[in-house]
Amino acid sequence: MPASRGCTTPRSPGANTLLHVRDLTISYGGEPVLERASLAVGEGSFVSLVGPSGSGKSSLLRAVIGLQQPLSGTVETTLTPAEIGLLFQDDALLPWKTARDNVVLGLTLNGMERGKALAEADTWLERLGLAGFGDRFPRHLSGGQRKRVALAQVLARRPKLILMDEPFASLDAIVRSRVIRDVVALVEQSGISVLLVTHDLEEALTLSDDVYLLSQGPRARITQHYHVPIPRPRDPVLSRTDPAFAPLYERLWADLSRAVDHRAEAA
Amino acid sequence: MLDPRYAWLRRLIALGLVLAMWEAAGRAGWLNPLFAPSPSKVWVALVDLFADGRIWPHLEATFSAALGGLALGIVVGVLLGVAAALIPLVAELLEPVMSVLNAIPRVILAPLFVIWLGIGIASKIALSFILVAVLIFFTVFTGIRQVDRKLVERVATLGGNRLALVRHVYLPSVTAWVLGNLKVAVGFAFTGACVGEFVAATHGPGYLLSFAQSTYNAALMFALILLILVVVMLIFVIAGRLERHLLRWN
Repeated sequence: MPASRGCTTPRSPGANTLLHVRDLTISYGGEPVLERASLAVGEGSFVSLVGPSGSGKSSLLRAVIGLQQPLSGTVETTLTPAEIGLLFQDDALLPWKTARDNVVLGLTLNGMERGKALAEADTWLERLGLAGFGDRFPRHLSGGQRKRVALAQVLARRPKLILMDEPFASLDAIVRSRVIRDVVALVEQSGISVLLVTHDLEEALTLSDDVYLLSQGPRARITQHYHVPIPRPRDPVLSRTDPAFAPLYERLWADLSRAVDHRAEAA
Repeated sequence: MLDPRYAWLRRLIALGLVLAMWEAAGRAGWLNPLFAPSPSKVWVALVDLFADGRIWPHLEATFSAALGGLALGIVVGVLLGVAAALIPLVAELLEPVMSVLNAIPRVILAPLFVIWLGIGIASKIALSFILVAVLIFFTVFTGIRQVDRKLVERVATLGGNRLALVRHVYLPSVTAWVLGNLKVAVGFAFTGACVGEFVAATHGPGYLLSFAQSTYNAALMFALILLILVVVMLIFVIAGRLERHLLRWN
Protein backbone atom coordinates (compact mmCIF):
# COMPACT_ATOMS: atom_id res chain seq x y z
CA MET A 1 0.00 0.00 0.00
CA PRO A 2 1.68 3.22 -1.03
CA ALA A 3 2.11 5.77 1.71
CA SER A 4 2.43 9.49 1.24
CA ARG A 5 3.22 12.44 3.48
CA GLY A 6 2.84 16.06 2.57
CA CYS A 7 0.31 18.42 1.17
CA THR A 8 -0.66 17.02 -2.22
CA THR A 9 -2.63 14.02 -3.39
CA PRO A 10 -0.83 10.72 -2.73
CA ARG A 11 0.77 9.16 -5.76
CA SER A 12 2.71 5.95 -6.17
CA PRO A 13 6.38 6.21 -6.94
CA GLY A 14 7.71 4.54 -10.08
CA ALA A 15 7.97 0.76 -10.48
CA ASN A 16 11.37 0.31 -8.86
CA THR A 17 11.39 3.51 -6.88
CA LEU A 18 10.99 3.01 -3.13
CA LEU A 19 10.97 6.67 -2.20
CA HIS A 20 10.03 9.71 -4.17
CA VAL A 21 10.36 13.19 -2.69
CA ARG A 22 8.59 15.78 -4.82
CA ASP A 23 8.88 19.55 -4.56
CA LEU A 24 9.41 19.45 -0.83
CA THR A 25 9.52 22.82 0.91
CA ILE A 26 10.33 22.98 4.60
CA SER A 27 10.04 25.98 6.84
CA TYR A 28 10.48 26.45 10.58
CA GLY A 29 8.17 29.45 10.60
CA GLY A 30 10.04 32.04 8.58
CA GLU A 31 11.90 31.78 5.31
CA PRO A 32 11.95 28.19 4.00
CA VAL A 33 15.16 26.37 4.83
CA LEU A 34 14.64 24.01 1.90
CA GLU A 35 12.69 24.76 -1.26
CA ARG A 36 11.13 22.47 -3.86
CA ALA A 37 13.52 19.59 -3.33
CA SER A 38 12.87 16.48 -5.40
CA LEU A 39 14.75 13.20 -5.42
CA ALA A 40 14.14 9.51 -5.86
CA VAL A 41 15.64 6.40 -4.28
CA GLY A 42 15.40 3.25 -6.37
CA GLU A 43 15.32 -0.33 -5.15
CA GLY A 44 18.81 -1.43 -4.07
CA SER A 45 20.37 1.94 -4.79
CA PHE A 46 22.55 4.07 -2.54
CA VAL A 47 21.67 7.74 -2.84
CA SER A 48 23.42 10.62 -1.11
CA LEU A 49 22.29 14.14 -0.45
CA VAL A 50 25.20 16.51 0.06
CA GLY A 51 25.26 20.16 0.85
CA PRO A 52 26.69 22.76 3.19
CA SER A 53 25.53 23.20 6.78
CA GLY A 54 22.11 24.81 6.97
CA SER A 55 20.97 23.54 3.59
CA GLY A 56 18.14 21.50 5.10
CA LYS A 57 19.59 18.03 4.53
CA SER A 58 18.53 16.71 7.93
CA SER A 59 15.19 18.49 7.68
CA LEU A 60 14.48 16.59 4.48
CA LEU A 61 15.16 13.28 6.23
CA ARG A 62 12.99 14.30 9.18
CA ALA A 63 10.19 15.09 6.73
CA VAL A 64 10.61 11.69 5.09
CA ILE A 65 10.13 9.89 8.43
CA GLY A 66 7.29 12.15 9.48
CA LEU A 67 9.08 14.03 12.26
CA GLN A 68 8.81 17.29 10.29
CA GLN A 69 5.69 18.53 8.54
CA PRO A 70 6.63 20.05 5.17
CA LEU A 71 5.18 23.36 4.05
CA SER A 72 4.42 21.85 0.65
CA GLY A 73 5.39 18.92 -1.51
CA THR A 74 5.02 15.18 -1.01
CA VAL A 75 6.95 12.20 0.22
CA GLU A 76 5.77 9.07 -1.57
CA THR A 77 6.85 5.59 -0.69
CA THR A 78 5.74 2.03 -1.31
CA LEU A 79 7.16 1.03 2.07
CA THR A 80 5.55 0.71 5.47
CA PRO A 81 7.20 2.59 8.37
CA ALA A 82 8.53 -0.76 9.66
CA GLU A 83 10.41 -1.25 6.40
CA ILE A 84 12.33 2.02 6.81
CA GLY A 85 15.38 2.05 9.09
CA LEU A 86 17.07 5.10 10.53
CA LEU A 87 20.69 5.63 11.41
CA PHE A 88 21.57 9.03 12.81
CA GLN A 89 24.80 10.76 13.84
CA ASP A 90 23.81 10.27 17.45
CA ASP A 91 23.34 6.54 17.95
CA ALA A 92 20.43 7.32 20.35
CA LEU A 93 20.65 3.95 22.11
CA LEU A 94 18.63 3.71 25.30
CA PRO A 95 21.34 4.02 27.98
CA TRP A 96 19.47 1.82 30.49
CA LYS A 97 19.22 -1.09 28.08
CA THR A 98 22.06 -3.42 27.19
CA ALA A 99 23.30 -3.64 23.63
CA ARG A 100 21.20 -6.79 23.15
CA ASP A 101 18.07 -5.23 24.64
CA ASN A 102 18.44 -2.18 22.41
CA VAL A 103 18.42 -4.44 19.37
CA VAL A 104 15.57 -6.50 20.84
CA LEU A 105 13.49 -3.35 21.38
CA GLY A 106 13.53 -2.57 17.67
CA LEU A 107 12.19 -6.05 16.97
CA THR A 108 9.58 -6.36 19.73
CA LEU A 109 8.15 -2.95 18.86
CA ASN A 110 7.73 -4.45 15.40
CA GLY A 111 5.65 -7.29 16.84
CA MET A 112 8.29 -10.01 17.13
CA GLU A 113 8.03 -12.39 20.09
CA ARG A 114 10.77 -11.68 22.68
CA GLY A 115 12.44 -15.10 22.58
CA LYS A 116 12.84 -14.93 18.82
CA ALA A 117 13.95 -11.30 19.06
CA LEU A 118 16.71 -12.24 21.54
CA ALA A 119 18.07 -14.88 19.17
CA GLU A 120 17.86 -12.50 16.23
CA ALA A 121 19.61 -9.75 18.20
CA ASP A 122 22.48 -12.05 19.11
CA THR A 123 22.85 -13.09 15.47
CA TRP A 124 23.11 -9.48 14.32
CA LEU A 125 25.47 -8.44 17.09
CA GLU A 126 27.73 -11.34 16.17
CA ARG A 127 27.51 -10.46 12.50
CA LEU A 128 28.63 -6.93 13.30
CA GLY A 129 31.60 -8.09 15.37
CA LEU A 130 29.95 -7.59 18.76
CA ALA A 131 29.77 -11.20 19.96
CA GLY A 132 30.21 -11.14 23.73
CA PHE A 133 29.20 -7.48 24.02
CA GLY A 134 25.45 -8.06 24.22
CA ASP A 135 25.28 -7.63 28.01
CA ARG A 136 27.12 -4.32 28.00
CA PHE A 137 25.37 -1.01 28.43
CA PRO A 138 25.99 1.67 25.75
CA ARG A 139 28.10 3.71 28.17
CA HIS A 140 30.51 0.80 28.43
CA LEU A 141 31.00 0.54 24.67
CA SER A 142 33.27 2.55 22.40
CA GLY A 143 31.87 4.98 19.82
CA GLY A 144 32.41 2.45 17.04
CA GLN A 145 30.76 -0.33 19.03
CA ARG A 146 27.76 1.85 19.83
CA LYS A 147 27.42 2.69 16.15
CA ARG A 148 27.47 -1.03 15.34
CA VAL A 149 24.76 -1.69 17.93
CA ALA A 150 22.65 1.06 16.35
CA LEU A 151 23.32 -0.54 12.96
CA ALA A 152 22.34 -3.98 14.33
CA GLN A 153 19.14 -2.42 15.71
CA VAL A 154 18.32 -1.12 12.22
CA LEU A 155 19.41 -4.14 10.17
CA ALA A 156 17.74 -6.70 12.46
CA ARG A 157 14.40 -5.22 11.44
CA ARG A 158 15.29 -6.15 7.83
CA PRO A 159 14.48 -2.75 6.36
CA LYS A 160 14.17 -2.17 2.64
CA LEU A 161 15.36 1.41 2.96
CA ILE A 162 17.73 2.98 5.47
CA LEU A 163 17.83 6.72 6.01
CA MET A 164 21.20 7.87 7.32
CA ASP A 165 21.94 11.31 8.71
CA GLU A 166 25.72 11.76 8.92
CA PRO A 167 25.92 8.48 10.83
CA PHE A 168 29.70 8.25 10.76
CA ALA A 169 30.56 11.86 11.61
CA SER A 170 31.23 11.22 15.30
CA LEU A 171 33.69 8.38 14.70
CA ASP A 172 37.46 8.66 14.46
CA ALA A 173 39.09 7.95 11.07
CA ILE A 174 40.03 4.29 11.57
CA VAL A 175 36.79 3.21 13.26
CA ARG A 176 34.86 5.22 10.71
CA SER A 177 36.42 3.49 7.70
CA ARG A 178 35.83 0.07 9.29
CA VAL A 179 32.19 0.79 10.12
CA ILE A 180 31.62 2.24 6.63
CA ARG A 181 33.17 -0.82 5.01
CA ASP A 182 30.86 -3.12 7.02
CA VAL A 183 27.82 -0.99 6.25
CA VAL A 184 28.55 -1.04 2.51
CA ALA A 185 29.11 -4.80 2.52
CA LEU A 186 25.87 -5.48 4.42
CA VAL A 187 23.83 -3.09 2.33
CA GLU A 188 25.18 -4.54 -0.92
CA GLN A 189 24.59 -8.13 0.20
CA SER A 190 21.04 -7.45 1.34
CA GLY A 191 20.06 -5.18 -1.54
CA ILE A 192 18.92 -2.50 0.90
CA SER A 193 18.36 1.00 -0.47
CA VAL A 194 20.00 3.89 1.33
CA LEU A 195 19.40 7.62 1.46
CA LEU A 196 22.46 9.16 3.08
CA VAL A 197 22.72 12.77 4.18
CA THR A 198 26.28 13.99 4.50
CA HIS A 199 28.48 17.03 4.01
CA ASP A 200 31.45 14.78 3.18
CA LEU A 201 31.85 14.72 -0.60
CA GLU A 202 34.30 11.80 -0.59
CA GLU A 203 31.96 9.73 1.52
CA ALA A 204 29.07 10.51 -0.79
CA LEU A 205 30.97 9.55 -3.94
CA THR A 206 32.61 6.38 -2.64
CA LEU A 207 29.36 5.01 -1.23
CA SER A 208 26.67 6.17 -3.61
CA ASP A 209 25.16 5.33 -6.97
CA ASP A 210 23.57 8.78 -7.13
CA VAL A 211 24.44 12.05 -5.45
CA TYR A 212 22.16 15.07 -5.14
CA LEU A 213 23.73 18.45 -4.38
CA LEU A 214 21.96 21.03 -2.27
CA SER A 215 22.76 24.72 -2.46
CA GLN A 216 23.40 26.89 0.58
CA GLY A 217 20.30 27.61 2.67
CA PRO A 218 17.99 29.31 3.41
CA ARG A 219 15.86 28.48 0.38
CA ALA A 220 18.30 25.71 -0.45
CA ARG A 221 17.52 23.81 -3.62
CA ILE A 222 18.79 20.63 -5.21
CA THR A 223 21.00 22.07 -7.92
CA GLN A 224 22.73 19.02 -9.36
CA HIS A 225 22.31 15.27 -9.69
CA TYR A 226 25.33 13.06 -10.40
CA HIS A 227 25.44 9.38 -11.26
CA VAL A 228 28.49 7.59 -9.81
CA PRO A 229 29.63 4.83 -12.21
CA ILE A 230 32.04 3.11 -9.78
CA PRO A 231 31.28 -0.65 -10.04
CA ARG A 232 29.92 -2.74 -7.15
CA PRO A 233 30.76 -4.45 -4.91
CA ARG A 234 32.77 -1.53 -3.64
CA ASP A 235 35.54 -1.08 -1.17
CA PRO A 236 34.98 2.45 0.14
CA VAL A 237 38.73 3.03 0.49
CA LEU A 238 39.73 1.62 -2.92
CA SER A 239 36.84 3.42 -4.62
CA ARG A 240 38.90 6.60 -4.35
CA THR A 241 41.35 5.11 -6.85
CA ASP A 242 38.67 4.39 -9.44
CA PRO A 243 39.16 6.52 -12.60
CA ALA A 244 35.63 7.91 -12.26
CA PHE A 245 36.23 9.24 -8.76
CA ALA A 246 38.61 12.20 -9.25
CA PRO A 247 36.74 13.97 -12.10
CA LEU A 248 33.42 13.56 -10.30
CA TYR A 249 34.90 14.82 -7.05
CA GLU A 250 36.34 17.91 -8.79
CA ARG A 251 33.00 18.61 -10.46
CA LEU A 252 31.07 18.18 -7.25
CA TRP A 253 33.51 20.38 -5.33
CA ALA A 254 33.38 23.11 -7.99
CA ASP A 255 29.56 23.04 -8.06
CA LEU A 256 29.36 23.15 -4.28
CA SER A 257 31.84 26.03 -4.06
CA ARG A 258 29.90 27.91 -6.70
CA ALA A 259 26.64 27.37 -4.82
CA VAL A 260 28.14 28.63 -1.56
CA ASP A 261 29.90 31.60 -3.23
CA HIS A 262 26.75 32.54 -5.12
CA ARG A 263 24.77 32.64 -1.87
CA ALA A 264 27.52 34.64 -0.12
CA GLU A 265 27.49 37.22 -2.92
CA ALA A 266 23.72 37.42 -2.88
CA ALA A 267 23.79 37.98 0.87
CA MET B 1 53.91 10.85 48.75
CA LEU B 2 50.77 9.64 50.55
CA ASP B 3 49.53 6.19 49.63
CA PRO B 4 45.81 6.66 48.83
CA ARG B 5 45.13 3.05 49.86
CA TYR B 6 45.77 3.93 53.51
CA ALA B 7 43.77 7.17 53.64
CA TRP B 8 41.16 5.44 55.86
CA LEU B 9 43.90 4.45 58.34
CA ARG B 10 45.28 7.99 58.52
CA ARG B 11 41.76 9.36 59.07
CA LEU B 12 41.12 6.77 61.79
CA ILE B 13 44.36 7.67 63.56
CA ALA B 14 43.54 11.40 63.33
CA LEU B 15 40.07 10.77 64.78
CA GLY B 16 41.60 8.66 67.57
CA LEU B 17 44.04 11.47 68.38
CA VAL B 18 41.28 14.08 68.54
CA LEU B 19 39.19 11.84 70.81
CA ALA B 20 42.23 11.10 73.02
CA MET B 21 43.02 14.83 73.39
CA TRP B 22 39.36 15.57 74.07
CA GLU B 23 39.26 12.84 76.73
CA ALA B 24 42.52 14.06 78.29
CA ALA B 25 41.27 17.65 78.35
CA GLY B 26 38.04 16.52 80.01
CA ARG B 27 39.85 14.49 82.68
CA ALA B 28 42.27 17.37 83.33
CA GLY B 29 39.26 19.56 84.03
CA TRP B 30 39.93 21.93 81.13
CA LEU B 31 36.46 21.30 79.66
CA ASN B 32 33.18 21.97 81.44
CA PRO B 33 31.25 18.63 81.33
CA LEU B 34 28.01 20.59 81.25
CA PHE B 35 28.90 21.79 77.73
CA ALA B 36 31.45 19.29 76.44
CA PRO B 37 31.43 15.93 78.22
CA SER B 38 34.40 13.68 77.55
CA PRO B 39 34.04 10.93 74.90
CA SER B 40 33.97 8.26 77.61
CA LYS B 41 30.93 9.91 79.21
CA VAL B 42 29.22 10.12 75.82
CA TRP B 43 30.00 6.44 75.26
CA VAL B 44 28.52 5.53 78.65
CA ALA B 45 25.36 7.48 77.80
CA LEU B 46 25.13 5.69 74.46
CA VAL B 47 25.63 2.24 76.00
CA ASP B 48 23.04 3.18 78.61
CA LEU B 49 20.46 3.87 75.93
CA PHE B 50 20.87 0.38 74.53
CA ALA B 51 21.53 -1.41 77.83
CA ASP B 52 18.00 -1.04 79.15
CA GLY B 53 16.49 -1.29 75.66
CA ARG B 54 14.60 1.99 75.97
CA ILE B 55 16.08 3.33 72.72
CA TRP B 56 14.36 0.80 70.46
CA PRO B 57 10.81 2.24 70.61
CA HIS B 58 12.34 5.67 69.92
CA LEU B 59 14.29 4.43 66.90
CA GLU B 60 11.23 2.58 65.67
CA ALA B 61 9.18 5.78 65.89
CA THR B 62 11.75 7.73 63.86
CA PHE B 63 12.21 4.99 61.26
CA SER B 64 8.46 4.58 60.83
CA ALA B 65 7.95 8.31 60.40
CA ALA B 66 10.95 8.81 58.08
CA LEU B 67 10.34 5.78 55.88
CA GLY B 68 6.60 6.46 55.77
CA GLY B 69 7.23 10.07 54.74
CA LEU B 70 9.89 8.96 52.26
CA ALA B 71 7.64 6.40 50.54
CA LEU B 72 4.65 8.74 50.43
CA GLY B 73 6.79 11.65 49.30
CA ILE B 74 8.31 9.65 46.45
CA VAL B 75 4.95 8.31 45.25
CA VAL B 76 3.15 11.67 45.42
CA GLY B 77 6.18 13.61 44.12
CA VAL B 78 6.48 11.30 41.09
CA LEU B 79 2.73 11.37 40.35
CA LEU B 80 2.50 15.16 40.62
CA GLY B 81 5.75 15.64 38.68
CA VAL B 82 4.55 13.40 35.84
CA ALA B 83 1.12 15.06 35.80
CA ALA B 84 2.63 18.56 35.73
CA ALA B 85 5.09 17.61 32.98
CA LEU B 86 2.38 16.11 30.78
CA ILE B 87 -0.65 18.31 31.54
CA PRO B 88 -0.03 22.08 31.14
CA LEU B 89 -2.99 23.01 33.38
CA VAL B 90 -1.59 20.93 36.26
CA ALA B 91 1.82 22.57 35.78
CA GLU B 92 0.20 26.01 35.77
CA LEU B 93 -1.55 25.34 39.07
CA LEU B 94 1.13 23.31 40.84
CA GLU B 95 4.38 25.01 39.88
CA PRO B 96 3.84 28.24 41.89
CA VAL B 97 2.78 26.29 44.99
CA MET B 98 5.72 23.93 44.74
CA SER B 99 8.10 26.83 44.06
CA VAL B 100 6.95 28.57 47.24
CA LEU B 101 7.27 25.33 49.22
CA ASN B 102 10.71 24.82 47.74
CA ALA B 103 11.84 28.34 48.56
CA ILE B 104 10.87 28.33 52.23
CA PRO B 105 12.57 26.20 54.90
CA ARG B 106 9.81 23.60 55.02
CA VAL B 107 10.58 22.57 58.61
CA ILE B 108 8.72 25.74 59.70
CA LEU B 109 5.56 23.79 58.90
CA ALA B 110 6.27 21.40 61.80
CA PRO B 111 4.20 23.30 64.44
CA LEU B 112 1.30 23.53 62.00
CA PHE B 113 1.36 19.76 61.43
CA VAL B 114 1.36 19.23 65.19
CA ILE B 115 -1.78 21.36 65.49
CA TRP B 116 -3.43 19.58 62.59
CA LEU B 117 -2.32 16.01 63.20
CA GLY B 118 -1.35 15.84 66.86
CA ILE B 119 1.93 14.90 68.50
CA GLY B 120 1.79 11.31 67.26
CA ILE B 121 3.57 9.81 64.25
CA ALA B 122 1.22 11.43 61.69
CA SER B 123 2.70 14.93 62.11
CA LYS B 124 6.26 13.51 61.68
CA ILE B 125 5.27 11.60 58.56
CA ALA B 126 3.66 14.76 57.21
CA LEU B 127 6.84 16.80 57.70
CA SER B 128 9.04 14.11 56.13
CA PHE B 129 6.52 13.78 53.32
CA ILE B 130 6.45 17.49 52.48
CA LEU B 131 10.26 17.69 52.51
CA VAL B 132 10.60 14.70 50.18
CA ALA B 133 7.59 15.32 47.91
CA VAL B 134 8.72 18.82 46.86
CA LEU B 135 12.23 17.55 46.09
CA ILE B 136 10.92 14.61 44.04
CA PHE B 137 8.30 16.75 42.29
CA PHE B 138 10.95 19.10 40.88
CA THR B 139 13.27 16.21 40.07
CA VAL B 140 10.59 14.48 37.98
CA PHE B 141 8.96 17.62 36.56
CA THR B 142 12.16 19.14 35.23
CA GLY B 143 13.51 15.70 34.34
CA ILE B 144 10.61 14.78 32.07
CA ARG B 145 10.69 18.17 30.38
CA GLN B 146 14.38 17.69 29.69
CA VAL B 147 14.15 14.08 28.57
CA ASP B 148 16.45 13.43 25.64
CA ARG B 149 14.31 14.13 22.56
CA LYS B 150 16.55 11.86 20.50
CA LEU B 151 15.53 8.89 22.64
CA VAL B 152 11.86 9.77 22.29
CA GLU B 153 12.22 10.11 18.52
CA ARG B 154 14.25 6.90 18.37
CA VAL B 155 11.58 4.81 20.08
CA ALA B 156 8.85 6.55 18.08
CA THR B 157 10.61 5.84 14.79
CA LEU B 158 11.11 2.21 15.82
CA GLY B 159 7.33 2.00 15.91
CA GLY B 160 6.75 2.71 19.61
CA ASN B 161 3.38 4.17 20.61
CA ARG B 162 2.74 6.41 23.66
CA LEU B 163 2.68 3.43 25.99
CA ALA B 164 6.02 2.23 24.63
CA LEU B 165 7.46 5.72 25.09
CA VAL B 166 6.32 5.77 28.73
CA ARG B 167 7.65 2.26 29.35
CA HIS B 168 10.96 2.49 27.54
CA VAL B 169 11.89 6.18 27.85
CA TYR B 170 9.95 8.14 30.46
CA LEU B 171 9.71 5.52 33.21
CA PRO B 172 13.43 4.60 33.17
CA SER B 173 14.31 8.31 33.01
CA VAL B 174 12.09 9.09 36.01
CA THR B 175 13.52 6.13 37.92
CA ALA B 176 17.04 7.34 37.22
CA TRP B 177 16.29 10.88 38.42
CA VAL B 178 14.52 9.67 41.57
CA LEU B 179 17.31 7.25 42.40
CA GLY B 180 19.87 9.96 41.71
CA ASN B 181 18.19 12.00 44.46
CA LEU B 182 17.45 9.09 46.78
CA LYS B 183 20.25 9.90 49.24
CA VAL B 184 19.13 13.52 49.49
CA ALA B 185 15.53 12.34 49.92
CA VAL B 186 16.56 9.95 52.72
CA GLY B 187 18.36 12.79 54.46
CA PHE B 188 15.27 15.00 54.09
CA ALA B 189 12.98 12.25 55.42
CA PHE B 190 15.03 11.78 58.59
CA THR B 191 15.38 15.55 59.02
CA GLY B 192 11.58 15.82 58.89
CA ALA B 193 11.08 13.00 61.39
CA CYS B 194 13.68 14.30 63.86
CA VAL B 195 12.60 17.95 63.64
CA GLY B 196 8.97 16.87 64.10
CA GLU B 197 9.95 14.92 67.20
CA PHE B 198 11.95 17.87 68.45
CA VAL B 199 8.93 20.16 68.18
CA ALA B 200 6.40 17.92 69.94
CA ALA B 201 6.43 14.17 70.45
CA THR B 202 6.40 11.35 72.94
CA HIS B 203 8.92 9.16 71.15
CA GLY B 204 11.99 9.33 68.93
CA PRO B 205 15.60 10.52 69.15
CA GLY B 206 14.36 14.04 68.37
CA TYR B 207 12.11 13.89 71.43
CA LEU B 208 15.01 12.51 73.53
CA LEU B 209 17.21 15.34 72.23
CA SER B 210 14.62 17.86 73.35
CA PHE B 211 14.48 16.12 76.74
CA ALA B 212 18.31 16.10 77.02
CA GLN B 213 18.37 19.80 76.16
CA SER B 214 15.81 20.71 78.81
CA THR B 215 17.75 18.73 81.45
CA TYR B 216 21.17 20.03 80.34
CA ASN B 217 22.31 16.45 79.71
CA ALA B 218 25.07 17.14 77.15
CA ALA B 219 26.39 13.56 77.24
CA LEU B 220 22.97 12.23 76.21
CA MET B 221 22.76 14.90 73.51
CA PHE B 222 26.13 13.91 72.06
CA ALA B 223 25.14 10.23 72.26
CA LEU B 224 21.89 10.88 70.43
CA ILE B 225 23.56 13.02 67.77
CA LEU B 226 26.11 10.25 67.25
CA LEU B 227 23.35 7.66 67.07
CA ILE B 228 21.34 9.62 64.48
CA LEU B 229 24.54 10.21 62.51
CA VAL B 230 25.38 6.50 62.42
CA VAL B 231 21.84 5.46 61.53
CA VAL B 232 21.55 7.98 58.69
CA MET B 233 25.03 7.09 57.41
CA LEU B 234 24.00 3.41 57.34
CA ILE B 235 20.90 4.28 55.36
CA PHE B 236 23.01 6.43 53.04
CA VAL B 237 25.27 3.44 52.38
CA ILE B 238 22.26 1.20 51.64
CA ALA B 239 20.69 3.89 49.40
CA GLY B 240 24.04 4.40 47.64
CA ARG B 241 24.38 0.68 46.95
CA LEU B 242 20.80 0.48 45.69
CA GLU B 243 21.45 3.48 43.44
CA ARG B 244 24.70 1.99 42.12
CA HIS B 245 23.00 -1.33 41.40
CA LEU B 246 19.91 0.09 39.71
CA LEU B 247 21.85 2.76 37.82
CA ARG B 248 24.71 0.44 36.84
CA TRP B 249 24.14 1.46 33.23
CA ASN B 250 25.12 5.03 34.07
